Amino acid sequence: MLLKRHIPLLIVIVVGLITLFGHFIAHEGVNNFVKNVSTEWFDIIASFAIFLGALNMMKLHIKKIFNKRRNWQYSILAVFGFSFAIFAGFLYRGAYYLSISDVNAGKTSIVSNIIAEEINESNPLIIQHKLISSKNDYKIDKIYITKESSILLKDKLDPFVENIKIKSIDWGSHVQTEGSLFYWMFFQILNPLSATMFALLAFFVASASYRAFRIRNFEATLLLVSGIILMLGRVPIGDLIPWWMVSIMIVFGIGAISAPFLNERKTLFGIVGGGILAFIVFGILMGWNQNPPELLSIPSIQSWIFDYPTAAGSRALMIGIGLGVIGTSFRIILGIERSFLGE
Amino acid sequence: MISLEIFGAWLAVLLTLCILSFLYDDNPFYKAAEHLYIGMSAGYALVMAFWQGVRPNLFGRLWPQIPTDENSSLFQTIWYSIYDFFNLITTGFGIFDRSIFPEGGIPEYDEIKLIYLIPFILGIFMLLRLVPKVGWLARWAIAYIVGMAAGLRFYRYLTSDILAQIQASAVDFSLDWVGVINGLILFIGTLTGLVYFFFSSEHKGSIGTLSKIGIYFLMIKFGASFGYAVMGRISLLIGRIDELKQFSTSEYHYATPILSIFIIICLAIWTFAGKGVSREHSVS
Amino acid sequence: MNRIKNILVSLGSLDRRVIFIIVGLSVLIPLLKPDWVSLPIKNKAHSQRVFDELNLLEPNSKVLLSFDYGPSTMPEIHPMAIALLRHMFAKNIKVYGIALWDTGNFMSTDAFSQVSKEFEIAYDKDYVNLGYKPGGEAVIQGLTSDFRTKYKSDLSGNNIDHLLLMKNVNNLEDFDFVISLSAGDPGSKQWVQFGTDPSNIPFTTGCTSIQVTDIIPYVENNQILGILEGMPGAAEYESLVETELHTMGVSLTPGKASSMMSAQSIAHIVIVLFIIFGNISYFSRRREDRNNS
Repeated sequence: MLLKRHIPLLIVIVVGLITLFGHFIAHEGVNNFVKNVSTEWFDIIASFAIFLGALNMMKLHIKKIFNKRRNWQYSILAVFGFSFAIFAGFLYRGAYYLSISDVNAGKTSIVSNIIAEEINESNPLIIQHKLISSKNDYKIDKIYITKESSILLKDKLDPFVENIKIKSIDWGSHVQTEGSLFYWMFFQILNPLSATMFALLAFFVASASYRAFRIRNFEATLLLVSGIILMLGRVPIGDLIPWWMVSIMIVFGIGAISAPFLNERKTLFGIVGGGILAFIVFGILMGWNQNPPELLSIPSIQSWIFDYPTAAGSRALMIGIGLGVIGTSFRIILGIERSFLGE
Repeated sequence: MISLEIFGAWLAVLLTLCILSFLYDDNPFYKAAEHLYIGMSAGYALVMAFWQGVRPNLFGRLWPQIPTDENSSLFQTIWYSIYDFFNLITTGFGIFDRSIFPEGGIPEYDEIKLIYLIPFILGIFMLLRLVPKVGWLARWAIAYIVGMAAGLRFYRYLTSDILAQIQASAVDFSLDWVGVINGLILFIGTLTGLVYFFFSSEHKGSIGTLSKIGIYFLMIKFGASFGYAVMGRISLLIGRIDELKQFSTSEYHYATPILSIFIIICLAIWTFAGKGVSREHSVS
Repeated sequence: MNRIKNILVSLGSLDRRVIFIIVGLSVLIPLLKPDWVSLPIKNKAHSQRVFDELNLLEPNSKVLLSFDYGPSTMPEIHPMAIALLRHMFAKNIKVYGIALWDTGNFMSTDAFSQVSKEFEIAYDKDYVNLGYKPGGEAVIQGLTSDFRTKYKSDLSGNNIDHLLLMKNVNNLEDFDFVISLSAGDPGSKQWVQFGTDPSNIPFTTGCTSIQVTDIIPYVENNQILGILEGMPGAAEYESLVETELHTMGVSLTPGKASSMMSAQSIAHIVIVLFIIFGNISYFSRRREDRNNS
């Protein structure tokens, strides 16, 4: 009980209070702890949480393979993917580059040409200048995933250079460096998979809006109209929609909003038909073909809806969420909220 | 000899098309790509969390690269022998190259900070969640994270999300009539939206009316959010199709059309032959 | 008449794969044939505001640019990064790149590399790239007190005390402007809460479309000065920058976002038409059910 409940609660309360009141205490040590040290500890422990999540997931997939549960064959791919990432991250760096020094006399131009061709530099003189000005090792600006690829260039340079070393980027930097196996894995495998997962949603959003967006009641109509206006107004095509079409859309919109409140269909058709006619006649008389008013421009309507009613709704949500967050945070700091303990 | 770049392009196109094949139906191509993604994402996250977080911030503080000579203290010698022991384990007792724990310590800092043993121990406790008997120790680590997040967010949400927004909701009556009306709309929308979320009183009478007006503003907001969501997803789809278009040229040996035809043929075979069989099996 | 009614009713029950194909084609065709649909881009107030705020900066001003996105949201945000860098380098503004996302490093390297070839700029003279640090809001909080507790070296491993541009840069308040290119969490919201609000530094953002409605209260309250909203925002900013550079006699390749707006527009129209047809079918079916009952 003491170890499983009271000590975690004590940790939560102490850490929460220090972090909260650290803003109000003008002491360098406390401020340094709150702003720098404690947040670094947070990152470290959060990193271990990531390790836990990854390892736990692999444990589940491995169990699935051994127990031969449904679709266990796909779990092999999951384990393979994980293992490949670990291999590229911890066991095989790649990211080889060549470092040369002591170019044979009179061969600088030839060496520059070879390097320029390799790195797709159109002007070999730039390479030559860098070679001459580099006192010791000149690092060739191309990174190879495999050592064999770098040896191909080494062989070309061997007759003209005394000293060629094949080096590799430091461990740690290799996860961010183009030319490492990890980088290749990220851009050629992980990125297409992740980007396409997101892109897939475009199709489902279209299908969902087609099936679910119905003018069932006033609230649903508001949602639908606001969504449509935004989709049209935010893209260039919104500027091309003429004033008379916008008038028709406004009248239809008014008809859609008032439809749930009207029992007589004739009244509804009368409003819609009369409205369209009135707009068009008035527009022709006022010369809106040349200078349509801002009100009849979809982007302007969209802009107003976004800046005012939408902002109001967003603000209400933001304040509501904020109140929820500080309420929950306060409960956690006081030890009232214990769901994180599994209670 | 196919270059790594061309191979990578073909792989990217194949994986993209495998995921897109889900639009037809949940099929083996999609399932395979999905599982590969799950496993690789987990591995990626682990690798990045280690190299970007744990190694520099934890091991770099506990075992920084400081000069060691005959004058080093006994404590330093014992301490770094623990470091060498970790290195021995991570290199498989010398089988692999030295990677995680370089010679002499981890560069970046110049002073041993033993206080970082606290997050190290809490981190180990977090990992012990995998062992059922001592899994409860993870609560200590979770408690630290939860406590810190609560304290950090309390103040920031209060200042930026609540007080600042309430202040911004005030109507500026010095503006012209259009500005005042717009300000009133913002104020009324914010207030009524908040009333909607007030569930301590029943939504009847005047609170009911205000709450209903609040719903209207929220519906407009959700409609706008939906519009932007559509816009965002379409943008990402455009990005993917643009890349597929890029890889359909002769430079990449027509990867997109060839792989598209391959996947379509496989899906057709799966539909007319394999799918019927697999459905029967899954039912039994 | 019955035939029309049946057509209207069946419009509401299309197989979803038909919808997928139509949406796919609505994106594919404008990309394959950009000449068929060419739409002029008009600037909106929010993008104009970002442009105007950056235009107010004097040469040699210091701007912190945070790359808080990854390759999966590149189509929306990377064009903003390119356009912003072009604008700032044309105005001789010093840019300091950091990243709160690990993938931000790839994005920043690519963006700086691309734009540095277009302008005669040099590392540590016109820009520095400090790279990624894990921790999200913790990093932002650390930057408000002391830069050097979070960053000891730049992305290439150079000690930041040896960098010319890092002289007299000790914390966030030493910057004239902060920009976050944000795809989620950590991003714009955390910058406002932990960085620019407490330090009272001008801040703007370019973000994915999904986040825009959540960020707009900050924009209305001038906690964020203007916002670039997804791909349309990127296209608008590209157009503004291209016009500005044209007046300065600089001509560059057009930005990527502008060329994709046609596809975006057509896709939106298609989805709106689907919604309209779905509702027409819904009302037709409802009337038919009422007549039958």
